[in-house]
Amino acid sequence: MIDGLLLALPKGRIARELSPVLSRAGIEPETAFADEHARQLRFATSDPGLGLIQVRSFDVATFVAFGAAQLGVVGNDVLMEFEYREIYAPLDLGIGLCRMVVAEPAELATGDDPSRWSHVRVATKYPQVTRRHFAARGVQAECIKLNGAMELAPGLGLCRRIVDLVGTGATLRANGLVEVEHIADISARLVVNRTALKTRAGELQAWIERFGEAVNGAQAG
Amino acid sequence: MTETKTPALLPTGLRDLLPPEAGAEAALAEALLAHFAAQGYERVKPPLVEFEESMLSGASAGLADQTFRLMDPASHRMMAVRSDLTPQIARIAASRLSRSPRPLRLSYAGEILRVRGGELRPERQFRQVGFELIGIGAGAACDAEVILLAADALHGLGLEGGLSVDLNAPTLVASLLAEAGLDAHDAAALRDALDRKDAAAVQDADGAVAGLLAPLMRATGAAGTALDALAQLMLPGAAAAALAQLLEAAKLLREAAPELALTIDPIEWRGFEYHTGTSFSLFAGGVRTELGRGGRYSVGDAGAKAEEAAGCTIYVDTVLRAAPAPPAPRRVYLPHGTPRSDGAGLRDEGWITIAGLAPEDDPAAEAARLGCSHLWQGGTVRALAGED
Repeated sequence: MIDGLLLALPKGRIARELSPVLSRAGIEPETAFADEHARQLRFATSDPGLGLIQVRSFDVATFVAFGAAQLGVVGNDVLMEFEYREIYAPLDLGIGLCRMVVAEPAELATGDDPSRWSHVRVATKYPQVTRRHFAARGVQAECIKLNGAMELAPGLGLCRRIVDLVGTGATLRANGLVEVEHIADISARLVVNRTALKTRAGELQAWIERFGEAVNGAQAG
Repeated sequence: MTETKTPALLPTGLRDLLPPEAGAEAALAEALLAHFAAQGYERVKPPLVEFEESMLSGASAGLADQTFRLMDPASHRMMAVRSDLTPQIARIAASRLSRSPRPLRLSYAGEILRVRGGELRPERQFRQVGFELIGIGAGAACDAEVILLAADALHGLGLEGGLSVDLNAPTLVASLLAEAGLDAHDAAALRDALDRKDAAAVQDADGAVAGLLAPLMRATGAAGTALDALAQLMLPGAAAAALAQLLEAAKLLREAAPELALTIDPIEWRGFEYHTGTSFSLFAGGVRTELGRGGRYSVGDAGAKAEEAAGCTIYVDTVLRAAPAPPAPRRVYLPHGTPRSDGAGLRDEGWITIAGLAPEDDPAAEAARLGCSHLWQGGTVRALAGED
């Protein structure tokens, strides 16, 4: 355990966009990693000193914060929500690009004046970020925590507004929602456990540089 | 779901320490204190509770939201339960020991209580053991004495993962940001990015300060390369002085203890709220959080009477997790009726004796039931079956 390093990766879109970055960084995961039906959770790579685990994106942050994995890849939406002091995010990988926005039904947006709000009810996967965002302008946000399909909430009367990630905006439009406020630009970051960076500085610094070169290579090419 | 109330349930972050951990923790604390004492650091013992205004005055005001308070029914004044021992030692040095010769070397051990635990360290009560070197000059020799003493004391415990020291300059970034004249919002955003070591966000920051911070951030890591990179940097004003102090301390440490694993992080400032100069955190491989931290700070009123000090606080509960388990003690069972002098003789030889308080049918079985490794029988110590 103490010898090898463990890299925690999320599933889904980030994982797909990450695979060219991994190969440019010289990391070839074992074949089971690409098999979406495999039950395996832990994978070897072409580098004997580096193993992979694949977990949900919020759990990537948890594994790295507690030092169970020394490295991880996770969107800054998750980092903003947790604000773990034990996680460093030294490198923007430039993948998994999207925006975190406030959205509401189109018909509400036409007659709405956000400067008059004192309280809003919001469905979101990000209650901390949402609360902070609204508190900064003096609005109290009552958050309803959902784990997915936020776009359904306004139509079904759960609440009128949502805070969610938006890529092209197609899902919002399909559900009759419009973006009314931009909270943050999101991209995937390479994250490192703080204690690991102090006690295994050389190894981790080398990996950060390898990933940095892989990302720069992609941008140049 | 209704929660069942059980007397065993303790409030969050508080715990009972049982055998053998409680004994091991006390032994660790004593071993550390013996190291400090051997280099002239004398014990002081401040009280658990003080008046709020003296406990949380000046530099320690930053501890206010971590501090429990209670009303003193006798004086009708608000009292604070200590959440850190260093401010108490500083108060003693500045008041009752103000006429003792400088530098003053003091050590201490005590429990502290905090309002909230951390993410990785939920404990709200834990034992701090530490030492303070008070009334010192600007020279890095003082910082080196503190760091080397802390490292030697922890080395003496035979930590399994190996010790590493992270050297910090908590005032460096603050003075760079102040000099850059950023507005509060931009400064907060930049601080945030620095805390996360987010190189991209720091590079996006406006102006000259980004040009200074980016290379500082790159110069974080193992001492060898970091120090070379830092030595090339040209920083303005107070930041340059903070950096020079850090470099000088690192140089002394590397000369005095070339085998010590040293990393440099000129960006780190969290947890060093009252520190005014070169500071450090102590890590061990395989342990999630710091074993301790310390650095330079100011003692006494600001102005003519203020003194410089440096010290180190070690979190004994964390060290306990990194230290090897002590060998199981040799316990011998003395059957009921064993003469008192037999027991005394065995204890003189280093045995732990467990006396039988009532006649037993099978002394060997009774010895095993009470966790003894040996039995006193027929004038000799006999190992129980399965023990050596």
